[in-house]
Amino acid sequence: MEVDLIESDIPNQPGLVQHQRKRPTRPIDDAHPFDLDAYISSYTGRTAVDRLINITASCPSIAPQALKLAFTHLYLLRDSSLVSAAISAYEMVASSPEGQSLPPVADVVIVETGWIEKVANKNMAERTKLEVELKTYSNNMIKESIRMGHRDLGDYHRATGDYASALKHYTKSREFCSTSQHILDMCLSVLELVIEQRNYAHISSYICKAEGALDAAAANAGPAGSDNTTPVQSAPKKPGVEREQIQSKLNLAMALSHLGQGNYERAASSFLRLGPAEQLGDWIGKLVGPGDIAIYGTLCALASLSRSAIKAQLLGNSVFSVYIEQEPYIRDLIQAYMSSDFKTTLELLSRYSTRHYVDIHLGVHVNDITQHIRNTAIVLYFQPFETIRLERMAIAFGWTVDEVEKEVVTLIQNGKIQGRVDSQNKILKAKKPDHRAELFAYAMKTASDIQSTNRKLLLRMRLQQADLVVKNPKSNPRRDQAQGLEAAIAMGEMS
Amino acid sequence: MFTMSQPSLSSQQQQQQQQPVPQPDPNVQQSAPAQAPSTSNEGNISLSNVISAITIAMPPSQLNQHLKNFAPKDVREVVLASLLPDGQDPLAVLDIQANTLGILYIVSARMHTTGAPNLPPQYVNEFCRRFVPEQARFAPDRVTLLAKGLPLLAEAAGSLKLAIQPLFDLLSRYPPSLSHLTTIHPIFLKTCVSTRHFSAALPILAHPITTIDTLISDLHYNDNLVYHYAGGMVYSALKRWSEAQEFFEICACSPGSAAAAIQMEALKKLVLVQLIHEGKTTPPPKYINPVLPRLFKSTPYSLFVNAYPRHRAQLRFIVDGEQQLFAAEKTLGLITQALDRAPRWTIRKLTATYLTLHLSDIAQAVGTESEDEVRSLILGMIESSEISAQLSADGTVYFSDPPVKLEKADVDRVLAHAQEQGALLDKLEKELARSKEYLTKAVKGKEESAWGGTMDEDMGDRTGSSLNWADEIGFA
Repeated sequence: MEVDLIESDIPNQPGLVQHQRKRPTRPIDDAHPFDLDAYISSYTGRTAVDRLINITASCPSIAPQALKLAFTHLYLLRDSSLVSAAISAYEMVASSPEGQSLPPVADVVIVETGWIEKVANKNMAERTKLEVELKTYSNNMIKESIRMGHRDLGDYHRATGDYASALKHYTKSREFCSTSQHILDMCLSVLELVIEQRNYAHISSYICKAEGALDAAAANAGPAGSDNTTPVQSAPKKPGVEREQIQSKLNLAMALSHLGQGNYERAASSFLRLGPAEQLGDWIGKLVGPGDIAIYGTLCALASLSRSAIKAQLLGNSVFSVYIEQEPYIRDLIQAYMSSDFKTTLELLSRYSTRHYVDIHLGVHVNDITQHIRNTAIVLYFQPFETIRLERMAIAFGWTVDEVEKEVVTLIQNGKIQGRVDSQNKILKAKKPDHRAELFAYAMKTASDIQSTNRKLLLRMRLQQADLVVKNPKSNPRRDQAQGLEAAIAMGEMS
Repeated sequence: MFTMSQPSLSSQQQQQQQQPVPQPDPNVQQSAPAQAPSTSNEGNISLSNVISAITIAMPPSQLNQHLKNFAPKDVREVVLASLLPDGQDPLAVLDIQANTLGILYIVSARMHTTGAPNLPPQYVNEFCRRFVPEQARFAPDRVTLLAKGLPLLAEAAGSLKLAIQPLFDLLSRYPPSLSHLTTIHPIFLKTCVSTRHFSAALPILAHPITTIDTLISDLHYNDNLVYHYAGGMVYSALKRWSEAQEFFEICACSPGSAAAAIQMEALKKLVLVQLIHEGKTTPPPKYINPVLPRLFKSTPYSLFVNAYPRHRAQLRFIVDGEQQLFAAEKTLGLITQALDRAPRWTIRKLTATYLTLHLSDIAQAVGTESEDEVRSLILGMIESSEISAQLSADGTVYFSDPPVKLEKADVDRVLAHAQEQGALLDKLEKELARSKEYLTKAVKGKEESAWGGTMDEDMGDRTGSSLNWADEIGFA
C-alpha cells in the first residue's frame, strides 16, 4: 500500500539527485540477471553516480556493491552532496524490510571527510574566482567575456550539483550571445543539464531554440564557405558534419523528452531516427549508454508501432541495429515478437525487468510499456481466429485462464478486440458484424441527428436575427435602447 | 379588488349588469372627465369615446394606433378598465368577432388594473375561443398582457388549472402557425407544469419552434429559454427522454454573450436526462456558452456523471451526501431515476463484451449481492427489449445480438424527411441571399474594394470594375 503511494509520487518529482524515494525493490537472481559492473561501465561522470544511487535504492541485494561503486565514481567528481545522497539511499534500503540483513554503512564504505573538506574548499575558491571575474567583465561591459563568465559559472554550478543556479547562469548568458553558435552552445549545455535533471517537459523548448540557432548558423556558414573560394570542398563539409552531430544530439534529447512524458509512439520514431553513436559524441556515456538507446527505442517501438512499421523502421534500420548489438537480448526480444512467440517475448520482458526498472529514464514507464506490449500481443494473437479457447491463449501467453479473461475483457471494453467472451465455456468469439445492417442503422441515425441539429441551428439563427440573445442583466435595458436606436438610424439611412 | 364567487349559472348579460352596482369606482369616474379637456383634437378621453372609436368601421391598424395613443399610459389603462357612464359593461356592447382588437385592449387592461370591474372567466374563455387572430396581431403587447392575465384570473377564480384551456385556445389560434414562438408559449407551459397537466402541453410541444417573428409577438430572450426549459420538464415528466433532451439542449445552448441561470439548470437536467436515456453523456454542442460547462464541472452533478454507471456505491454516496442540494434544486427525482437505471447500463455494456455470463458475475459487475434482483432486472430488460438475451434455469445468461429491424417504409420516410430538409435549406439560403442585411453587407464589401481601387490605381480599378460586373449579374 505504502509502496504504491510512493511509486505514484515519482513522476511528480522531476528526478532529483537526492533520490531518496524508496521504490519497490527489484530482485536480482537467476531469473532476473543483472550485471552491475558491466552495466555501469558504459557510463561516466555524474550519470554513473545517479544511476548507482538509484540502484542502491531499489535493489537491496546488490546495494552494498552499488554503494561502493558509487563512491569510487563519486571521488572523481566535485559534488560533496552526492555523498550524503548515496548514504541516505543506502540507509533507506537498509531500514526497509527487504534490506534487514544488509551491513551498516560504515562496513561498506568509509567516508573520507578529508576529501569532502578539500572539495568544499576548492569549490569555494573557484566560485569566488569565477564570480569576481564575472563582476569585472560586467564592469568592463565586454559582451563576449560576460557570456563566458556566465557559462563558466553555469558549468561550475552544474558540476557542484546546484541545478537551479546553473540554469540561471546559462539562460543569463543568452543575453550576451553574439553569434548563433553561442546560442547553440548554450542550448546544448542547458539540454545536458535538464536531461541530467530529468526535467522532460523543459527539453522541447530548448530543442526549438537550438534548432533555430542551428539553421541560422548553417545559413551563415553556407555563404561564408562559398565566399572563401579557396578550399571549395572541405569548407562546407565540415560544418555539415558538425551540424549532423548537433542534430543527432537534439534528436536524442527529443526522444528522451517524449519518453519522459509517456509519448511512446513519438519516442519510438525519434529513437529509430537517431544517427550512429559517434555522432552523439560525449553524450554517450555522459547521459546515456548505447545499450540504453537500443532498449528505449525497441521497447517504445514494440509498445506503440504496428508490426509493419516495426519491420520497416526497426529491423530494416542499419544504424539502429548497431545499437541493438550492445544488448543481445533485445534482438531476441524483437525476434520473438515478430515471430508471434509472445510467451518468450513476455518472459524476456520480465527476465530483464530489473535492468529496465533501475534505469533512471525508463524506470517509471516500464509498467506502462509492458502493459502496452501485452495488449498488442493479445490483439495480434487473436486476429486470425474466429473462436478460440481461453485455455489455449493462456498456454500461449503463459498466464492463467482468469488472467487471460480479465485482459481480454478489458481489451474488448476498450474496443481493441472485436469479440465477445463466452464466460461459461471460456471461449473468445470474434464478432461477425452485419455491415449492411450497421450501415443502414447508421444512416438512419445520422439522418435524424442531422435533422434535429439543423432545426436547432436554424432556431438559433432566428434567435440571433431577432436579437433574442441572452445579455448581461445589468447593461440590458440601456443597451437594448441603444441598439434599437442604432437600428432605427440605420433603417432611416437606408430608406 | 374583490372577487365575486357566485356560481354564475345566470347568463353573462345579467352578471355584467349586476356588477356595476357594487362597483362605483370614484377614481375612474373622476379621472376620466378631469383629463378630458386637456387633450384637444382626439376629443374627450372617456370610455364611451373609445367604444365609439372601436365600433365605427376603422382599419385595424388605425384603430390600434388610436387605442395606443389616445391618452398617456396610466390614464389609458384606467379608462380602458372602467365602465361606461351609465354603468353598463362595455364588453356587453361589443361583438367578439367584429371588435376583437377593442375587446383585447379592454380585457387586458382590466386584468392588470387594480380595482377594475370584475372580469367573468367565461367571457374571457369565450373570447379566447372566438377572437379573430388577424385583428389581434396588430397589438401583440396586449396579447402578451392577456396571456399574463389568464393565470392570474384563474388563480383568483380558485384554481390555476382553469387557465390551461383559454391559454391553449389563445396559443393555438393567435400565431400564424404553431412553429412561431410567441410570448404565450412560456406562460402556457409554465401553467401546465405548475398544475402538473403535462399532457395538455403535448399538442403545442409537438411543433418545434422554427420561426421567430417579433412583429407578431413582443418576445424577450427569456421567453425562448423558459419555453424550452418548461418543455423539457414536461417531456421528462412524461418520460419521453429524447424530446426532453432536445428541449433542454435548446435552452442550454441558446445564443448569448452571457449565460442565464436557467441555462445552467437546463444543462444540469440535460445531463441527467442523457444519463437516464443513454447511460452516458454526450458533450453539448460547441456553440454552448463556455461558461456553462465550466461552472458545471464544479457541481456535484459532475462527480455523479463521472461515476456513472459503474460505481454504484460511489453514486449512492454522492446522492446521499448531496441530497439536500439535489432536493433544493429539484433534481432529486431525475437523480434517483438515473441511479435506478445505472445497473441497466452496466448490463448493457456487458452484452457487448460477453456471450454468456452467470447471474452471480452480473451481480458482481452491477454491485449487488442478490442474484434474484439481477434476475428480475434482466427479465425486465428482456421484456422491454432493451437487451436480447436468454436466461437458462441454472442462472446462465446468453446474450445475443439484437435483431435488426429495418423496413422499407422507414428508409423511405427518412429519405423524404431529408429531401424536405434539403429543400427548406435551399429556400432559406435564397431568402438570405435576398435579404436586406446580406445585400447591405455585400455592397459594403464592394465599396471597400472600390476604396482600395483609388489607392492603387490600375490594379484596383480592374478588381473594382470586375466586382461591379459580378454584382450586376447578381442583381439581374
